[in-house]
Amino acid sequence: MTTDTLGNSNAGAAMGRSIPRVEARAKVTGRAEYVHNLRLPGMLYGRIHRSTVAHARITGVDVSAAQAMPGVYAVYTAADIRKLIPEPYFGPAFHDQPILAIDKVHYVGEPVALVLAADPHVADAAAQQIVVEYEELPAVFDEVEAMTSKAVVHEVLKPAGTFPDLKHLKDKRDTNVALDFHLRRGDVQQAFADADHVFEHTFRTQQVLHLPLEPFVTVADPAPNQLVIHTASQSPSFVRIEIARLLGWPETRVRVKVPYLGGGFGAKLYIKLEALTAAAALIAGRPVKIALTMEEQFYTLTKHATTLRIKSGVTRDGKITARECEVWWNGGAYADIGPRITQKSGFTAAGPYDIDHVTIDSYSLYTNLTPAGALRGFGIPQLVWAYESHTDMIAKALKMDPLAIRRINILREGRPQATGTLMRDAGIEPVLERLAERMTWEKKYDRGSGTMRRGRGIAIGFKASISPTTSMAIVNISADGSCIVYCSTVDMGQGSDTAMAQFAAEALGIPVERVSVVHPDTDVTPYDMATLGSRSTYHMGHAVKNAAEDARDKLLALAAEVGLSAETTPIPDIFRKKYGMQAGNIIGIGSFIPPYTPPEPGTGLTTDATPFWMIGATGAEVEVDTETGEFKVTRLVNLVDVGRPVNPAIVETQISGATIMQLGFTLSERMEFDAGQVTNASLADYKIPGIRDVPPVMENEAVDMVQKTGPFGAKGVGESGTFGVSPAIASAIDDAVGVRLTSLPLTAEAVYRGLRANAGKPLQD
Amino acid sequence: MAKTSMSATHKDISFTLNGRPVTALAGNHQNLVELLQEQGLFGARESCAQGLCGCCTVIVDGNAVSGCLTMATLVDGADVRTIEDTGADGKLDAVQQAFIETGAFQCGFCTPGFILMTRQLLDEHPNPDEDQIRHYLAGNLCRCAAYTEIIKAVKLAAKKRKG
Amino acid sequence: MIPFELAEPRTLKSALKLLETDDPSVRAFGGGTALILMMKAGVFQPTRLVSLRGIEKRYAKVASSKDGSLRIGALTTLSALGRVAAVKKSAPVIIDTLRTLSNVRVRNVATLGGHLAHGDPHMDLPPVLMALDAQVVTAAVSGSRTLAMGDLYTGYYETALARNELISEIIVPAQAGRRAAYMKVTTRAADDWPTLGIAVSLGVEGQTITDARIVVSAATEKPLRLAAAEAELRGATVDDAVLARVGEAAAAEVELTGDAHGTAAYKTELLRVYARRAVRKALAA
Repeated sequence: MTTDTLGNSNAGAAMGRSIPRVEARAKVTGRAEYVHNLRLPGMLYGRIHRSTVAHARITGVDVSAAQAMPGVYAVYTAADIRKLIPEPYFGPAFHDQPILAIDKVHYVGEPVALVLAADPHVADAAAQQIVVEYEELPAVFDEVEAMTSKAVVHEVLKPAGTFPDLKHLKDKRDTNVALDFHLRRGDVQQAFADADHVFEHTFRTQQVLHLPLEPFVTVADPAPNQLVIHTASQSPSFVRIEIARLLGWPETRVRVKVPYLGGGFGAKLYIKLEALTAAAALIAGRPVKIALTMEEQFYTLTKHATTLRIKSGVTRDGKITARECEVWWNGGAYADIGPRITQKSGFTAAGPYDIDHVTIDSYSLYTNLTPAGALRGFGIPQLVWAYESHTDMIAKALKMDPLAIRRINILREGRPQATGTLMRDAGIEPVLERLAERMTWEKKYDRGSGTMRRGRGIAIGFKASISPTTSMAIVNISADGSCIVYCSTVDMGQGSDTAMAQFAAEALGIPVERVSVVHPDTDVTPYDMATLGSRSTYHMGHAVKNAAEDARDKLLALAAEVGLSAETTPIPDIFRKKYGMQAGNIIGIGSFIPPYTPPEPGTGLTTDATPFWMIGATGAEVEVDTETGEFKVTRLVNLVDVGRPVNPAIVETQISGATIMQLGFTLSERMEFDAGQVTNASLADYKIPGIRDVPPVMENEAVDMVQKTGPFGAKGVGESGTFGVSPAIASAIDDAVGVRLTSLPLTAEAVYRGLRANAGKPLQD
Repeated sequence: MAKTSMSATHKDISFTLNGRPVTALAGNHQNLVELLQEQGLFGARESCAQGLCGCCTVIVDGNAVSGCLTMATLVDGADVRTIEDTGADGKLDAVQQAFIETGAFQCGFCTPGFILMTRQLLDEHPNPDEDQIRHYLAGNLCRCAAYTEIIKAVKLAAKKRKG
Repeated sequence: MIPFELAEPRTLKSALKLLETDDPSVRAFGGGTALILMMKAGVFQPTRLVSLRGIEKRYAKVASSKDGSLRIGALTTLSALGRVAAVKKSAPVIIDTLRTLSNVRVRNVATLGGHLAHGDPHMDLPPVLMALDAQVVTAAVSGSRTLAMGDLYTGYYETALARNELISEIIVPAQAGRRAAYMKVTTRAADDWPTLGIAVSLGVEGQTITDARIVVSAATEKPLRLAAAEAELRGATVDDAVLARVGEAAAAEVELTGDAHGTAAYKTELLRVYARRAVRKALAA
């Protein structure tokens, strides 16, 4: 029995403590709950037959051989799905993605048919027996070509009704542009004419993907009165709403449960396997599990490849006066959340710089590739790659120091960002200055000699929070003084359960060990927009704090009602006095939606684009072998502004993990394609960072900041470590050997070719 | 494809699982991860399916193997140990404790593999230097990239083991 | 995977008998790590597999002679091979190579025989064993034969082994003071298939190289001796000029294949540099 009182001073101070994750023991004993573990009585396994061509009309599907295989329960195509769901299209921004391909396929790997069998090996073998006939259509793969290509991925655009700014796209025909976002500030052309120098560069990023080690997995259980979906999803509330919409059911007939996730990184958002699994389970009348293989993840969701053109007018002393940005996002065959990325990240394309004249044109494009979505940074790492490389190229041309040019141009506190929104609690300056200090930037640097040259680079980026979005939470105080938090934030490894427990404990002033957090279950935990974009700490943190404060107020009222002092009476005694025994609950509720002003159409300007800003910077040191172009990243220094860290140890792990993930996107990860077919769809051929790829020196730090509008001063952290990695390394290579790379990934061969080109002896193929 | 009878393609096997004798009917086409799942153990997880990520690490007769590349029938007569071997009594070993104390995991999906491999490493090299740690764990992938914390955890576990 | 039969013979002789068939869907395996990958990928669907794990234990042992020569049973796992003191003494280059060959779990299971018989040009030990002038002893119902490592490979994933023939033993001759090195060049992640492999073995008297064997792999359809580069070393005292000629000769005498690891032109440049570095590494060994 606890003797804790509400607000016991010994018990409080949960904020800022590096307690181990609440689920630590379960994870180190292999007992943590994942959908992967779930087996239900009578459960069938689903295996997907996928398209083998990039763009084609389906002229025939022969499932007879698969159906005839012993042990096959059923084979479904779009025709079967449509008997249950006449309009089986889903998606967060556009209702463009069919549950199974209808009439056409739009990329290699698109689901065309589904086999169900009690034995997954049988389902697998049968899926290979399905024969689909195609009449191939011209395909488009490159995002810039897609702007003008005669090959059109979708004949008609189908924006979801939920977003007012997409309404004008409804029924638009014969275009691959899913969304175009434009920002206009000042007079860029005049400023270019007035500038001492104008610089223009084009940058590319490649297709990469999330690859959580737990691949996508969903189980759907058609219980008599309710469809229960157990799924590895970052957005249980969205899944419920979208499945209910597809079925024409009330939300309450769909129940979505999410245990721990074996990684998410933005892959497991919105609908992925859920609609197909749900439809199959309802048609079959049996529980169905679909668990993708590692290979199939390459056919599910990628990060946008991009082409970015950026042009700046600069004074002779390095002040940027004007900037023009064009960004083409390769969205693949279905829009997913691409149009949101195009706008919500697009408006930061000019960088964390104070520039009077800015234009941004950001285009979300359909192509015949695996759909692209959000991946740890929501498009920001691509933008930072371009604007920070561009900044250093300008500095070099002006013979300026990279730190000096940034000091002249960065957005300082209170100044307007390109949209016109003022920078508040945005630690751009402290992050940059602390990075310079840790890199001892202004001291002499040994650049090596002979065939081993050293170099260093810095880069800084920023990100707005996706807004406006809603979070709800319930805090339940039991009669023994322990407390349960109900929220739909998904712990996919970022430590949100631990953070939410800390928020509740802090608000109630009870020990964090007395707080537990319920896994998302839409019948139990209230609505949350999704676990994405580093929003949970801020949004759900506020909701949990509000709920805890509501519970606290109710407990105070209860204590007053029974004539006790809540400050000095142990919590269980208050309940006992009221109910005569250990009984009852106090339920506190909380919700949060930040203020937001939508951008003006046409100009993209707004006074309130985001509730908070995330800042991340990286300093890199490299050693380059001038004989081969091979290089080693010897040191990465990562600085972020996360407001006040909720759990400093977990924050550091987030910074470090994000940085190493981006290191993979910078150096080794690249989806290879042949006519739209991924040719390296395995971890043997698509190389994610292993332990030997981690630089020998990694330093991570959250600068001393407070997000005044945040819950207990906190804000999000999951993405900030990714921002500066790629451009910092590219600049370090340039610093070492004078080779400037403008396409990711940065390979030894590209460096070598650059060295040869600089020497006037380009490598001949 | 030649016609085969069930008796030719499946086998009754007996083995020791985490210290207890077990019998099972296993198909030659099934792998060790599937066999363990049928025994209700989910700590070994098939992820990359190519023996590269280490999520399916299992200890067979004292050697770490990739469960996804091990035919289930071949563990007939073997001593099989999984991550579930310890911890049930509430006692964590030095490696598990070190992983918690250093925060050496995020999503936890790869963690059992890292812990089992770390135990093997420390059995072979009680005092590993960083280079040994990196080489021994090169066959385990962590997409959350808790690698720097894992290196710290291995060093701490080595210290803890010595008491 | 589709169900299949599994035979577990107790002797090599009975294993070989089981392989006396024209059916290509019958195959033998030692560790099975490569074969299971092929089965998972659907590249190979067996009707029957023959496990060699239960055959006579002597095929999993390493014997050494006083002169340092080694006879390695083909079923020796790569991990076990790495722990043999005699290997460490006679051919430390093998131990060094094993360090970055796949990973601990695969090395615990994969056998040397399987590693060599697979015919994959990206494997690390074939070029090393070629540089060491090793031989393989094979067994079949029709009898046994001994092949030089250099004659084992006939093309991309192609070997001189008949379908019913197994490697039973690998003979590494006495190295008699020779110095050897292997360099595995990876261009993506640190742990990856090699972009280029290069193995060197040198006979040295005083400051003079009496004899050199240089083998390139991974960027070629099979491991290849670099005769012209070897010739540059024979009788030479190594200095920068000699090494430069070795690199030039190596780059000139072989046509490399481009892939996702690098273009052919770039790999040729890597060969030019790493041929030199591998000789240096061998001399320092």
